[in-house]
Amino acid sequence: MTKQSVIIENETGLHARPATELAKIAMKYPCDIWFLVNGKKINAKSPLMIMAAGIQSKTEIEIICEGENEEKALEELKAGFKTKLGE
Amino acid sequence: MLKGKGISDGIGLGTVVLLKKEEIKPEKVKVEEIQTEKEIFQKALHSVQIEIQELIGTLSGTEKEIMQAYVTILQDPTLVEQIIAVIEQEKCNAAYATEIGFGQIIQMLEKIEDSYLAARSKDIADMKKKVLAKILQQEERDVSQLPKNTILVTKELTTSDTAKLDLKNIAGIITQVGIGNSHMAIMARIHEIPAIVIKEEIKQMKENDRIAMNGTTGEIFINPSQEERNKLEEIQKEVKKQKEQLQNYKNQKSSTIDDHTVELLANIGGTEEMDTVLKNTAEGVGLFRSEFLYMNSKDFPSEEEQFESYRKVAEKLQGKRAVIRTLDIGGDKDLKYMKLPKEKNPFLGYRAIRIYLDNVSLFKVQLRAILRASAYGNLAIMLPMISSIEELRKAKNVIEEVKEELRTKQKAFREKIEVGIMIEIPSAAIMAEELAKECDFFSIGTNDLVQYTMAVERGNEKVADLYTHFHPAVIRFIKLAIEGAHKSHILCGMCGEAAGDLDFIPILIGLGLDEFSMNANKILPARKWIKELDFKSCQKLAEEVLSLSSTKEIKQKVKNYLLQEGNLRK
Repeated sequence: MTKQSVIIENETGLHARPATELAKIAMKYPCDIWFLVNGKKINAKSPLMIMAAGIQSKTEIEIICEGENEEKALEELKAGFKTKLGE
Repeated sequence: MLKGKGISDGIGLGTVVLLKKEEIKPEKVKVEEIQTEKEIFQKALHSVQIEIQELIGTLSGTEKEIMQAYVTILQDPTLVEQIIAVIEQEKCNAAYATEIGFGQIIQMLEKIEDSYLAARSKDIADMKKKVLAKILQQEERDVSQLPKNTILVTKELTTSDTAKLDLKNIAGIITQVGIGNSHMAIMARIHEIPAIVIKEEIKQMKENDRIAMNGTTGEIFINPSQEERNKLEEIQKEVKKQKEQLQNYKNQKSSTIDDHTVELLANIGGTEEMDTVLKNTAEGVGLFRSEFLYMNSKDFPSEEEQFESYRKVAEKLQGKRAVIRTLDIGGDKDLKYMKLPKEKNPFLGYRAIRIYLDNVSLFKVQLRAILRASAYGNLAIMLPMISSIEELRKAKNVIEEVKEELRTKQKAFREKIEVGIMIEIPSAAIMAEELAKECDFFSIGTNDLVQYTMAVERGNEKVADLYTHFHPAVIRFIKLAIEGAHKSHILCGMCGEAAGDLDFIPILIGLGLDEFSMNANKILPARKWIKELDFKSCQKLAEEVLSLSSTKEIKQKVKNYLLQEGNLRK
């Protein structure tokens, strides 16, 4: 298992578009991927659950990847957050 | 005869095709073979996905975006797992599990206090219906193939319906839900299909009923008598004749008899209206309401998306001017995903330029898109809701910053892009002379100017009588704006409803307005009218109007003028 914390930089938080972008990245990998937000564990492959979590800008979240290709998945997600998921 | 609200002009004669949208409420049935149910669900889900994917290939813009969001929802593992879990735990049929599984997600999203997610839950309900219809093999009628002269009657046309419609065979559309600016209404107007919104009475229309409808007046005749039919056919012929006559005014200069030339431009809300703009030979786009890019989107449109839209407009106009109004949101126009606070007095509150001088990064995304697109044609930037010169200066500073960023990144843009303002607040009209020194053009927004001058809200029926651009105060403000502009040798246009009002045009011509921007379908009638006018007599009319003290007197004056001019020409 590998994990790392990131801070959401998107001004309007993780609303529909970035949520969908995140899930798209996560879905490319066979490993399990979770976001830990305010003590809640969210399936990163589910845009519905990411949206429903209502994650605001500047929130700290922890990315957890477990399984095949977990390192690469973590790297790509981190890169995604860094570029504000294309916003 | 029934009377509804016409939202797209024209006469429609044809036969009813009902598009039923009944709630499917599946019963719970205990099953032995849960494996079979799981397969039924997966198969239904898969075929709905494929259908939408195929549809996406034929779409563009908003429709495409919405359908792509649908596909993502249908692929969501939480949703799929939830439904499978219901089948396993309850040992029940696929249809019931689908109802419950989707229901749980919808409930979850509705619980969060966020109007955006509430709207998204509607999409999910729409998806639920599609999957259920597949499982229960109750497919909706195929609207991509309709009989000739169909009058489509349905409670509501969703974007996914509209995207598939067999337009060439539709003679009219009647719905129970819909407004003038809905996607369906815009689509109907573009394709010149008459459309009417009507309440409960819609239930009186049955499959295969004969219908005669008038989209201009909102009249609907079910199984009309020969006489009623003849009457509408008569109107249809008359409208057709007028349209044909107007064709002669295409590609002509808009000049009065004594050779005073003005320009007639179009107001648009999106690139899909460009064909109508070109067909009516507008001399440019005087108002691109960029807020529709935002309002028709589920989320903030990205720089690229906006760039594509602005570039398309610039290219299609081939050098003619297109004025992009920066995001005019707030007031009566809400952006769900922006979560603007509810205000007691939204028209006097946090609106348009007031919002983005506060959120410069939001403003900059749009400016970058406009500036980059300006490399492909003659684009201009127009700032809404300017009430003081400080706002104009601040906005211009931001524009300069963005230009500098683009220069550093070596991205092409039009260096001399014009920056103009809307004159729609009385303070701006009064200060027109000073404002004109620091911008490149004015455009008078009469809809708001009337509202703010008389303190009367446009949408409020109780005070609707007070709302008129024939009020002497409004006309004096228009005069101030035009004079202020001309002193600094800049152009003054108008993009409110008044610019397309044939009765008002002689006054505007007389006051010296340079540019008239209106809905594209009003351009040819306006051009025909202007070519019959005489500039000198319009000037005289304007002068006389300015000496009058009441709306009633002004309207009477104009009426007399029209009668007199009409007689002169006979």
